[in-house]
Amino acid sequence: MLFWPFSKLGLSGCMFSGISLFFFMHFAVTSGFLVEEKALVLMTNYPLIDGHNDVALQLRILHDNRLSQIDLHNISRVATDINRLRAGHVGGQMYAAYVMCTAQEKDAVRLTLEQVDVIHRMCSEYPEFELVTTSHALRSSKKIACLISVEGGHSIDSSLAALRMFYRLGVRSMALTHTCNTPWAESSSEIYTFYPRDNNSLTHFGKAVVKEMNRLGMMIDLSHSSWDTARAVLQTSQAPVIFSHSSAFTVCDHRRNVPDDLLQALKENKGLIMVNLHSGFVACGAKGNISIAADHFDHIKNVIGAESIGIGGDYDGAAKFPEGLEDVSKYPALIQELLHRNWSEAELAGVLRLNFLRVFEQVEKVRDELKGTLPVEVQIPLSEAANPCRLVLRPPNQVIRSSSVDSSKVVCSGLHLFALSAVLTLHCFYEVVSC
Amino acid sequence: MAGMTGGPVLWWGLCALWLCCTADPLKDRALRLMAETPLIDGHNDLPWQMRKQFNNQLNKADLNSIQTTHTNIPKIKEGRLAAQFWAAYVPCDTQYKDAVRQTLEQIDVVHRMCQKYPKSFMFARSSQDIMEAFAQNKTAGLIGVEGGHSIDSSLGTLRTMADNWLVDNGSDPPVNNGLSKFGIQVIHEMNRIGMMLDLAHVSEKVMDQALNQSRAPVIFSHSSAYAVCPHKRNVPDHILQKVKEKNGIVMVNFYNEYVTCSQTANLSQVADHFDHIKRVAGSSIIGFGGDYDGVTRVPQGLEDVSKYPDLVVELLRRGCGTPLTADCRMMFPSHMR
Repeated sequence: MLFWPFSKLGLSGCMFSGISLFFFMHFAVTSGFLVEEKALVLMTNYPLIDGHNDVALQLRILHDNRLSQIDLHNISRVATDINRLRAGHVGGQMYAAYVMCTAQEKDAVRLTLEQVDVIHRMCSEYPEFELVTTSHALRSSKKIACLISVEGGHSIDSSLAALRMFYRLGVRSMALTHTCNTPWAESSSEIYTFYPRDNNSLTHFGKAVVKEMNRLGMMIDLSHSSWDTARAVLQTSQAPVIFSHSSAFTVCDHRRNVPDDLLQALKENKGLIMVNLHSGFVACGAKGNISIAADHFDHIKNVIGAESIGIGGDYDGAAKFPEGLEDVSKYPALIQELLHRNWSEAELAGVLRLNFLRVFEQVEKVRDELKGTLPVEVQIPLSEAANPCRLVLRPPNQVIRSSSVDSSKVVCSGLHLFALSAVLTLHCFYEVVSC
Repeated sequence: MAGMTGGPVLWWGLCALWLCCTADPLKDRALRLMAETPLIDGHNDLPWQMRKQFNNQLNKADLNSIQTTHTNIPKIKEGRLAAQFWAAYVPCDTQYKDAVRQTLEQIDVVHRMCQKYPKSFMFARSSQDIMEAFAQNKTAGLIGVEGGHSIDSSLGTLRTMADNWLVDNGSDPPVNNGLSKFGIQVIHEMNRIGMMLDLAHVSEKVMDQALNQSRAPVIFSHSSAYAVCPHKRNVPDHILQKVKEKNGIVMVNFYNEYVTCSQTANLSQVADHFDHIKRVAGSSIIGFGGDYDGVTRVPQGLEDVSKYPDLVVELLRRGCGTPLTADCRMMFPSHMR
């Protein structure tokens, strides 16, 4: 009796089940392959522009910036090298010229110049890299495009001239703070006690910095800034701003992440949030995996839409990364996950590079509109700078020495006038006498 | 009636005398020479005056009319100044403090100066740029960093800056007895990146060492002849010879203390330096490095940047070449290229 159903089903039934099972298994396997292939094709057509990478810092820590001693194709003890960037389909990378907060009030400017220098050298000594400084060059680059960002306003030592010089050196983005307050902006972190804040998240000088960055066409990066500073900047900036490496506070409530109301303000600003992949910000301390990272993308998309999203991995700037996202070769796995979550190709093309390019172009457009505006000459008051390492020059004297303009021409003209008047006098006298 | 015919003769006679007095064929020749060949001055401290007088707030200064400096745009035009190395100078007191930042600020002020007066100035990075500016009747602006303290002993910082650089200040107690090993590396790096090495302000020992080490020509952007005035800022004869061997240039400084070793000087005494260097090493190594706006006492007859033609007149009078060619043109360093 027990064998009746089988006997009723018979051979055809078994065959049907077997074939169904086969096709199901085949579909399950190949659809995974299909998505993976789709991710790779997508990233081939839209190579990733990542907002934040700290390999330059590692070059300093591990090799003292001696590029001659390493081969950037394959570096040990870091998450970034050329081979893995290629595997990760990275088409553009913003490298951070970062120096520690403890350099504030010391030699932050010099150290930052050295980091800018090492990025320049890296990008000029390897044919796979190409330093770019415009959105056009970034868009059309066929190599791994390098951009330079400065990570922390302490790098400019409260000097707009230093900011302008960084721009001349190719820096196209600056985070207003790192983990320390500057005299003019507030950090999200309270590790350091520099410039304690008291309801003053963006001072008059800080607003001058924002204004000058708009005028220059340098992206304002709000990663690491406090929320108050971020809000103040969003009100002040005429150009879109970015969070180069921050994630969603609602998914992981770390102060480095962005709360929903700020996301909304960012949306109005037409700015960009580039999701950080570090475990600490993605999984709130647990190691995490690709799925939890993707949750951030989903959440931000729900709140403000996919067009406001990019990727800012923070590789080599942090120690712990989720399983499956250990280094810069793993980006395709993330894209694959988002494809599984029904992100469209158009949305992902945006996340990968088009959103960043759009924002960069808009920042340049604001610069062009501000052409003809005079450079900002605001100086930070000494009491605010409060930097013992500054040489204080005497302020300008209102009563200036007068110069002695002593042109030989004047002397000569005087002689000539005298001669002429003598001639005329003599002539008149002669006329009078002769008449 | 005799008075009627004699009057005009007297009148015309005196006018002719007057015309003779005004005509200065040498001046005409000097101006012609300067119209054909750009005058390049090696050192001017106007950016420092901008800092001292205006805190680098260029919006408060008008270079078209400023009277509190040796240098303004009308004087530059009158002086036929075709190219100027603007010094990005910060005081030595900034060493071990914020020298780097302050130097960036001075470099920035030069850039802004060039941007603010685009009809008069053109920023230049190369000899080609200088000739381009000359063709457009603008004054090319280049940057010279005045003092190695500006790079805070960092080759990375050196690379991010451009143009001239200096080593050891001779007035400090010697630390390395000349160039240190790092100093030698700095020279090699400057050679590699094509940055001119400026030996104004260095000790004699460093002059010697640098000339030995450098593969490229070196310059003294604002130094005069030691044999004429034995000031340690000036260049001894044996160094002049070495500069000649290296195809370098000594750009004569007009500061009274370096011209006569006293507080007063005149144009003729400046010309003495030109004569001496020419005698010792030839005119091909000579240039102009006035040091305007960097010093307080300048010679009678060379009170500001409008007076360069008068110096050229003096040199012509001393016979730097008849007809006007070779020797005189050499001092307008097209050979700086």
